[in-house]
Amino acid sequence: MEIIVCLKQVVDPELPARDFAIDPATRRQVREGRPLVISTYDENALEVALQLKDRVGGKVTALTLGPQGVAGDAIRLALAMGADEAVAVDDPHGVGLLGVEKARVLTAAIRRIGRFDLVLCGCESADWVERVVGPLLAEALAAACVTFVSRIELRNGALLVRRMADEGFHQLEVRLPAVLSVTSDETNRPRLPKVKDIMTARRKPVQVWPMADLSGTSLDGDAPGVEVRDVALPERTARCEFLPGDAAAQVAALTQRLRDLKLL
Amino acid sequence: MEITLLRGAAVLLLLAVAAGIAVRKLLLIYRLIRLGSGPVPLAPLGVRLRDLVVQVLAHSKVLRRPASGILHFFIFWGFLVLLSTIVQAFGEAFVPGWTLPVIGAAPWFAFLQDVFIVLVLVGIGIALWLRLAVRPKRLAGQDPVGAYMILGLITGIMVTLLLSRGTAIVLDAPRWAAGAEVSRVVAGWFAGAARGTVGVVAAVSWWAHLLIILYFLTWIPEGKHLHLITLVPNILLRKARPRGALALLDVEHADRLGASRVEHFTWKDNLDVFACMECGRCTEVCPANSTGKELDPRRLHTDLRKQLTKVGPALLAGAGDVPRPALVGEVFSEAFLWQCLTCGACVEECPATNEHIDKIVEMRRHLAMEEARVPETMADALRSLEARGHPFRGAGLARDAWADGVAVKRLPAGERAEWLLWVGCAAALNERNHAPLQALVRLLQAARLDVGILGDEEACTGDPARRMGNEYLFQTLARQNIETLTAYGVTKIVTLCPHCYNTLRHEYPQLGGRYEVWHHTQLLARLIDEGRIRPGGAAASTITFHDPCYLGRHNGEYDAPRRVLGAIPGAKTVEMAQCRERSFCCGAGGGLYWLEDRVGQRVSHVRTSHVAATGAQVVATACPFCMLMLEDAAAATESTARPLDVAELLDRSLAEERH
Ligand code: SF4
Ligand code: SF4
Repeated sequence: MEIIVCLKQVVDPELPARDFAIDPATRRQVREGRPLVISTYDENALEVALQLKDRVGGKVTALTLGPQGVAGDAIRLALAMGADEAVAVDDPHGVGLLGVEKARVLTAAIRRIGRFDLVLCGCESADWVERVVGPLLAEALAAACVTFVSRIELRNGALLVRRMADEGFHQLEVRLPAVLSVTSDETNRPRLPKVKDIMTARRKPVQVWPMADLSGTSLDGDAPGVEVRDVALPERTARCEFLPGDAAAQVAALTQRLRDLKLL
Repeated sequence: MEITLLRGAAVLLLLAVAAGIAVRKLLLIYRLIRLGSGPVPLAPLGVRLRDLVVQVLAHSKVLRRPASGILHFFIFWGFLVLLSTIVQAFGEAFVPGWTLPVIGAAPWFAFLQDVFIVLVLVGIGIALWLRLAVRPKRLAGQDPVGAYMILGLITGIMVTLLLSRGTAIVLDAPRWAAGAEVSRVVAGWFAGAARGTVGVVAAVSWWAHLLIILYFLTWIPEGKHLHLITLVPNILLRKARPRGALALLDVEHADRLGASRVEHFTWKDNLDVFACMECGRCTEVCPANSTGKELDPRRLHTDLRKQLTKVGPALLAGAGDVPRPALVGEVFSEAFLWQCLTCGACVEECPATNEHIDKIVEMRRHLAMEEARVPETMADALRSLEARGHPFRGAGLARDAWADGVAVKRLPAGERAEWLLWVGCAAALNERNHAPLQALVRLLQAARLDVGILGDEEACTGDPARRMGNEYLFQTLARQNIETLTAYGVTKIVTLCPHCYNTLRHEYPQLGGRYEVWHHTQLLARLIDEGRIRPGGAAASTITFHDPCYLGRHNGEYDAPRRVLGAIPGAKTVEMAQCRERSFCCGAGGGLYWLEDRVGQRVSHVRTSHVAATGAQVVATACPFCMLMLEDAAAATESTARPLDVAELLDRSLAEERH
């Protein structure tokens, strides 16, 4: 089983609120000086891939995008957890790409990697939460697509996946090749890497492909059809008001207010 | 004459056989010990000799338990003094009536011997009373046959000795008889007997005496009595590391990380295992065991010994792999290994100076680094340490959030300060500990001390990672911090956290980081002594102090926090029964802050019950982890005693004065 896992690096979602900032020029989150981590569900996707490899054998390739130098930690962690190969697409645009654009670059990279049975990615990224990369990849690669998958099993040559639904789950059989977007459950918590593997991961080669070398990734001309006009931090305001009068009057006024707000 | 010769030859032969058996067994044990790895650096000779005197001759640790302490003291000293009677008994095989030169025939010496015969018998009596009537829990895990066997043998030796001495007085009226008050009483029993009968009794008891001693000799190298032989070397070969420091592991070059087999330990660990006398003191004081968990520090030693004796001979014979139950997972379950708080209560108590924590951490190292098998919540903490340099997932606070509104220098902003205030993650990232931090800064500034902080550039010292067995992560964090400290030219550090204190003081030197490190209570005590802080006001409350394991037992600092509390006018301090060396862990040590305490009673709740027993209104803490544990436990158990840091209490007394 040849599996490719797409890993996005995001600013640590647990960053103290004080350190969260938006660059007004690029309309993107400021990343400089902030710790980067693998986006939460992408780690689950990697875990699902590794578990499948542990059971049926095969190869897991970790794929990430990012400007030179930034991709390092995520890739090393993926290799330490058990990925066999790693590809980083050096993306001069930095991290400002939207899902549509990312999907295009990833498609080109996956085509260059060549053979694959499965492509896994997180069901949504921890920063932009667009949820489009998986389906767009499937479209471009002419592969089957299932979203919000939590478990995968290979039984008698058929791939059975569990797709989380609002109440309960769907059990689906999928033909290969397929692109699956992965969500979390108790069976796919990312593993801790063994120390030996961390140390060998430091020496494993990582292929770095300049984005310009990938065909069909040109972002000029062919507009992505989406544009970010403005990004703002949500403002939270709290107001406190004391209702006048004695207790009975207060109760009456309060009830009225709540009715007006359609809360009662 | 011929009879004497024959007898002498027989005794020599028996002695040779018994000694041969004993030496063979001991040699095997010596080789089993040497199966372990080394080298193990040893403490300075002076320290080791002092320990020998205090712990062996004066029995300092054994005597902490009054009844069993006294009984053992009697038997131990009896054994030393009565060695003289043993030598004399053997001498008599060749020269009838032989005594040691100079002192042997002296009445005062015979008196001394008699006294110790009685004391040993009294000791045996206490032991029987303990085992049959009192039955303390800690003795329950011992092998009862062995225990009664040794009591029986010692009684036999004493009884036959008394009979020999009594009959000798009747038959020969030796010069020493004048001092032997007790033996003369025994002699009195034979007053009317025929000389021939007395002679037979004398011969029988002499032979019985000798044979029991010889049997005893062959039996010592088995079970817990081996400590008669191993204890002295075990104390004399004590490790050099301060108690709070774990051994440095060369992660890059080690061929295995941690211990998963009995042959993976050091020779000193193996010597420990053979020096254990199964007394159960460690298990009795263990906060995990006494709250109903599986961890049992005595079993740690006895089971290691069992496995070493079982598979060791085959390993010595060159068998590479011997089938046996897995050490990690079967002999000691993973739960057993993860329950240790590294509180050091066991180490403090052990009369054999055994090191329990090291062995447990070695096995955790195997789990954490070789197998990457760590309880889930601890794994989250480790992952967080890796990603963001602190173990508190979801903290969402900036490291210097507590310092908003406090005028403290920031070294990364280019300011210089004489002292670095090492904040520590537990204090920085948990709001309850912000007030103590702010209080400390106010106090230090009131004393005109020049302090600065590292803010965002401080990372976890690595203490939790190290104690969870992830030495690799510990060293990564420690190297990073040492680099930062060097960059800012830091030489003096004060910290509120005993874990940081211990790691910075004892473990960073292993990696080349050497600083003058103070715990805040030590610095505050000094500033009070120097008159630079003058507590005022009257805090009208009763305070009990909870000794943090890593300040007290691991670093021997019990007095500084008490001196600070004692300086607060009007504060009335009371001690818990479990205080100072006997303090009881809050439940957070050893990385267990990140493991839900679900088996048996909660350690933190038990500690809160100790607080409640004093009736104090305030439980003073000196550790941010203790603070978090005791706050939670106080809320959960509806305790009225509030936890407050020593710095907060002192600051309040100053604040009252400022009004
Ligand atoms: S260090 Fe503490 S918790 Fe661990 S075995 Fe010893 S007494 Fe028990
Ligand atoms: S390890 Fe020490 S305290 Fe524990 S049973 Fe053995 S001798 Fe006693």
